Amino acid sequence: MVEFAGKSLLAGVVLMGVAVLPAVAQAGTLTVYTALEEDEIADYVAAAKKDLPDIDLKVLRLSTGDLGARMLAEASNPQHDVIWGWAVTNMLDPRVMALVEPYAAKGSDALPAAYKGADASWFAATGYMAAFCVNTELLKAKNLPVPTSWKDLTNPVYKGEVVMPNPVSSGTGYLQIAAILQSQGNEKGWQFLKTLDGNIAQYIKSGSKPCKSARSGEFAIGASLAFAAIKSVEEGFPLKMVIPTDGAGYELEASALMKTSKNKEDAKRFLDWTLSPKAAALYTKYKEIVTIPGAPVAKAAEEAGLPADVQKVLYPMDFAKSAAERDAILKTWQGSIGR
Amino acid sequence: MTMPALTLPGKTPNAARPRRLHRPLDERLLYGACVLVPVVALVLFFLLPLGTIVWRSVLEEEGGVGLANYLALFRTPGILRAVGNSLLVGGATTVVCLLLGFMVAYAVQRTRIPGKRFVAAALSLPLLAPSLVLGLGLIFLLGRNGLVSNLIGTRLNIYGFPGLLIANVLYALPQAVLIIQAALRQSDARYYDAAEVMGATRWQQFLGITLPNVKFGLLSAGFVVFTVTITDFGNAVTIGGDFSVLATEIYNQVTGQMRFGIGAAVGILLLLPTGIAVYIERVAAQRQFGTASESALAPVPDYVPMRDIPLFLATMTLALSIVAVVATVVFASFVRLWPYRLDLTLKHYSITLSGGYDPLWTSLAVSAGAAAIGTALLFALVLGLRRMPPGVAKAVYLLAVLPVGVPGLVLGLSYIFAFNLAGTPLHMLYGTVLLLALCNFYHYHTQGFLTMVTGMRAVPPALEEAASCLGGGVLRVLGDVVVPVMVPTLLSVFFFLFMRSMVTLSAIIFLVTPSTNLAAVTVMRLDEAGFVSQAAAFSTCIMAAVAAAALAMRGALSLATRRKVA
Repeated sequence: MVEFAGKSLLAGVVLMGVAVLPAVAQAGTLTVYTALEEDEIADYVAAAKKDLPDIDLKVLRLSTGDLGARMLAEASNPQHDVIWGWAVTNMLDPRVMALVEPYAAKGSDALPAAYKGADASWFAATGYMAAFCVNTELLKAKNLPVPTSWKDLTNPVYKGEVVMPNPVSSGTGYLQIAAILQSQGNEKGWQFLKTLDGNIAQYIKSGSKPCKSARSGEFAIGASLAFAAIKSVEEGFPLKMVIPTDGAGYELEASALMKTSKNKEDAKRFLDWTLSPKAAALYTKYKEIVTIPGAPVAKAAEEAGLPADVQKVLYPMDFAKSAAERDAILKTWQGSIGR
Repeated sequence: MTMPALTLPGKTPNAARPRRLHRPLDERLLYGACVLVPVVALVLFFLLPLGTIVWRSVLEEEGGVGLANYLALFRTPGILRAVGNSLLVGGATTVVCLLLGFMVAYAVQRTRIPGKRFVAAALSLPLLAPSLVLGLGLIFLLGRNGLVSNLIGTRLNIYGFPGLLIANVLYALPQAVLIIQAALRQSDARYYDAAEVMGATRWQQFLGITLPNVKFGLLSAGFVVFTVTITDFGNAVTIGGDFSVLATEIYNQVTGQMRFGIGAAVGILLLLPTGIAVYIERVAAQRQFGTASESALAPVPDYVPMRDIPLFLATMTLALSIVAVVATVVFASFVRLWPYRLDLTLKHYSITLSGGYDPLWTSLAVSAGAAAIGTALLFALVLGLRRMPPGVAKAVYLLAVLPVGVPGLVLGLSYIFAFNLAGTPLHMLYGTVLLLALCNFYHYHTQGFLTMVTGMRAVPPALEEAASCLGGGVLRVLGDVVVPVMVPTLLSVFFFLFMRSMVTLSAIIFLVTPSTNLAAVTVMRLDEAGFVSQAAAFSTCIMAAVAAAALAMRGALSLATRRKVA
């Protein structure tokens, strides 16, 4: 036993010794933190590596919330050069804004003003929107109509069959209630949320889980993200994606250059690439919202039944406002609705 | 103590207390180093990071220092209900786990029921299954659209307290068994013989001999179960529904709102229950009787139908339920589209995203490293602690049991705060797999430590003294006296650390880099990307790899010991 422990300890130490060798930061290495989705990242990175062969692109993917916590915890000594595709509501946090350096990426001048920071501190090439995941098999079994709007969800026939993300723990949950509050105004908006609460079976703590609950038949309707819905339809689940007609909240996926980057040259080239026509063409494979002018309508969105011009169903969100009011809104929500 | 007068000649509890002998200098140095190295490591890799969390909890948003975060926490709507819920679910889980855990450990160690190996294997499943598997398995089985609901024709609602209780028991039970089993492993048959002669019934023997001897193990197990339950929010997020607990407030604050202050304050408050450990340490200092005697005879379990048949049925039911949860997910990973199209397919096993299968090998290496380093450090610590003055031993003990009170998310963030400081020597470790291995070890330090302490109580001090007096060197004493008794405990600690290290996630997501891909992270990424079946498939591969690795290591070990004997 001693011998065994000794041997494995030795092996462990040798292994660790190899691992400790500091990762030498060569010129041309670029570390990117992103909250984009797994399969699209693989596609984009493959293309970016072809166009920028001299850059050794290293990408870390975490969910929006985890990534935010990690970046702010690392703020005293940031490990990344670029933030790529991260919720703009989080990006606008003053503590994050203090970490980034304005850079007007090539092509950002063509973006409408709503999709970039006034001081060029961030820009968004893509975005995602809220959507309902509706389990058609369950609704058929219960003989219920497919809801088309938030207002429909307050219909008592859906009582106990609707799940939505908890805004306190999920960015998606927050953007959904922020869109309702902004489109209906505070007074009517809160009244509406309270009525809706009567039908909600559960406030789930992540943004994509309500869709997974709906697709596996746990609940009939999950207020979630269009991405999750499209993915589930593709996989073959008996699911229909519904973009609520009375204000689908949406979120922009913002990118920015880190002040502390040791390789700004390459960081800028990469950011330029994310706005290139080639990138734009790839985005349309995955994204409901592509902000780059002239990008064709997303195929995925079309197949999932999105209108040709998604801009029409998007409520024009005021991101600065929703970022600034977040604390107060969540407090009110916890006090009056939260369970 | 309500022990009847069962004194055997020269076997009073006090006779087993080690006498202070003059020890040679090199021996004292060795035992000193045994304690010093693990303690320095604990300070560097646990206390220092924890200090950064204490600091964050008093750092106010405007930059001052004060208690604003704690006050803000108590003004958070619904916080008192969350505290109440935490205590309720923590208490319920502890009671259930102690009852079931004692039952399983007793059945495996002290009876002759068949199928012990199966029970032991089933009990290790929750340790080596990624949390996704347990969560999915429960929903697939007991969810509103689960197998049971469909069988009985009503949509069961397990979300909330019932689901959370089941999930927590599933998660904590193996850890309770780990410790209770170490306590039941050694005993002295002569006490039972004497009681038999004096006409004590089996039930009296159980109450008078067995129970008092596992008191320390039960207390330690209860402490671990309660603490891991109230600090865990993974289950609460997956299956807790709207049942809010205190630990989820950390998740709300940190992941939901990118704020550390209040989250850190919750983290510190969750350390309060580890204060119970002060009491357990007092029990630890008491000698137990009936074990740890140099001439102890291991009791030979006999077959008692009245006891063994019900015990067999209950233990098997429990083991089969655990297997059912995991097996459902394994089965679903081979199914085209659970629960709609049930034809079998291997398509979910063709995984190319998130690094493919490569992370599996990295994880195996990291976990073997964490387990080897951890087992060695814990063994040294527990060995040396027996020779330390009570004051020192008490302080070290408290430090060693503290890590269980720290939620994984808090531990992960604390490692960033402590090690991502440019210009400090410790920064060299940041971003390395060594730090990941250490983080995993310290995450589960308490469980390993308490198991080791419980097991070490069975090593007869008198025999150790004798071997040492007879001129056996320290290493000789270790090899001939301590290690033989400790082998089962060392192995169970090693495999516990190995298994947990393969699948734990909450801390390491803050420490992985683009170049270190770990299997647990791949499962999370596949799940987040919506490929739940692939995540289940990858989890199945992890479980298979861990089981294979465990079997291989056990095989190699038995070969090695056989050769040594021959």
